[in-house]
Amino acid sequence: MLSRVVLSAAAAAAPCLKNAAVLGPGVVQATRVFHTGQPRLAPVPPLPEYGGKVRLGLIPEEFFQFLYPKTGVTGPYVLGTGLSLYFLSKEIYVITPETFSTITVVGLIVYVIKKYGASIGEFLDKLNEEKIAQLEEVKQATIKQIQDAIDMEKAQQALVQKRHYLFDVQRNNIALALEVTYRERLHRAYKEVKNRLDYHISVQNMMRRKEQEHMIDWVEKHVVQSISAQQEKETIAKCISDLKLLAKKAQAQPVM
Amino acid sequence: MAGRKLALKTIDWVSFVEIIPRNQKAIANSLKSWNETLHTRLANLSEKPPAIDWAYYKANVAKAGLVDDFEKKYNALKIPVPEDKYTALVDSEEKEDVKNCAAFVSESQVRIQEYEKQLEKMKNIIPFDQMTIDDLNEIFPETKLDKKKYPYWPHQPIENL
Repeated sequence: MLSRVVLSAAAAAAPCLKNAAVLGPGVVQATRVFHTGQPRLAPVPPLPEYGGKVRLGLIPEEFFQFLYPKTGVTGPYVLGTGLSLYFLSKEIYVITPETFSTITVVGLIVYVIKKYGASIGEFLDKLNEEKIAQLEEVKQATIKQIQDAIDMEKAQQALVQKRHYLFDVQRNNIALALEVTYRERLHRAYKEVKNRLDYHISVQNMMRRKEQEHMIDWVEKHVVQSISAQQEKETIAKCISDLKLLAKKAQAQPVM
Repeated sequence: MAGRKLALKTIDWVSFVEIIPRNQKAIANSLKSWNETLHTRLANLSEKPPAIDWAYYKANVAKAGLVDDFEKKYNALKIPVPEDKYTALVDSEEKEDVKNCAAFVSESQVRIQEYEKQLEKMKNIIPFDQMTIDDLNEIFPETKLDKKKYPYWPHQPIENL
């Protein structure tokens, strides 16, 4: 993927694609292993970014390197020129109308690949990229999901430690209720006894008051009864004379 | 009527709320409110009732022996402590709960092991651009095309393309 940047700059992009078309299997064979039953090399090693280098778009670089020690730089070219002249002159290769169409077609192919090879390569790589990005997303989502599940399990385990609070509350409630009942009973006993005693005392008080009043009434009644008629007359006469005296005194006062 | 110590455990109400599942929130709230009600009632009742002033009553009640009699009986009175039938139930429930929790924790551990295995597997897959379709089908079994059900290409209903 990083090579995408390099791809746009290099002319080797075109040879890469063209070479893959012509010599693909051969090149691939050098680095890939066919899956024959047991995987010899798993995972599959990555495909090479670029195909083998070629010269003139057709002949692999290895050939030139192979001849270099013996014949130097110009060796393969001289060989090529000599061979083609030989074939032409001896009519081993006959020039027919096919020749011209071959030259035209091959030239056209080379031209198109050299010009548009890079962009086509990029476009196809982008399609692939999108698929891989999608898969990557799925992978990340799966990882996150599993992680969340693990975290939740851990949280639940932590909560288990606190379960005892539920029962503590219940036990507290029970203890409180019992204590409250007990105290209420104590208080009730006290109240009842106090009530009884207070009742006795208030009954006594009431009886005494009633007796007092009754006695007073009785004494008054008898006193009134005992005043005979004569005593009554004497008392009234005395009262009148006293009043007259008082009246004289009273008349005397305001004149001052 | 000896004074007894009321042994209340301190409750962390935050944790209490945390452990209750959603469908039992009403019960939890009623427990909490009961707790508060009982606390206030307890605060209203003193530990012992006030003492009765026997001397005053002895001096004032005319009936002889009544006050003495009451005093004797009152002092001899023992209020029964209400018996605790319910703590045992709560304890047995708690024991069961502890067992259940232990079982849950062990199952949870097993689940965590499995999850971690899956996590390792996911983290260690080869980069996607080095995979073949067979490798992809191993890792994500749902991508495997069912060649028996759809024998003709594209081996999946057209809508899925």
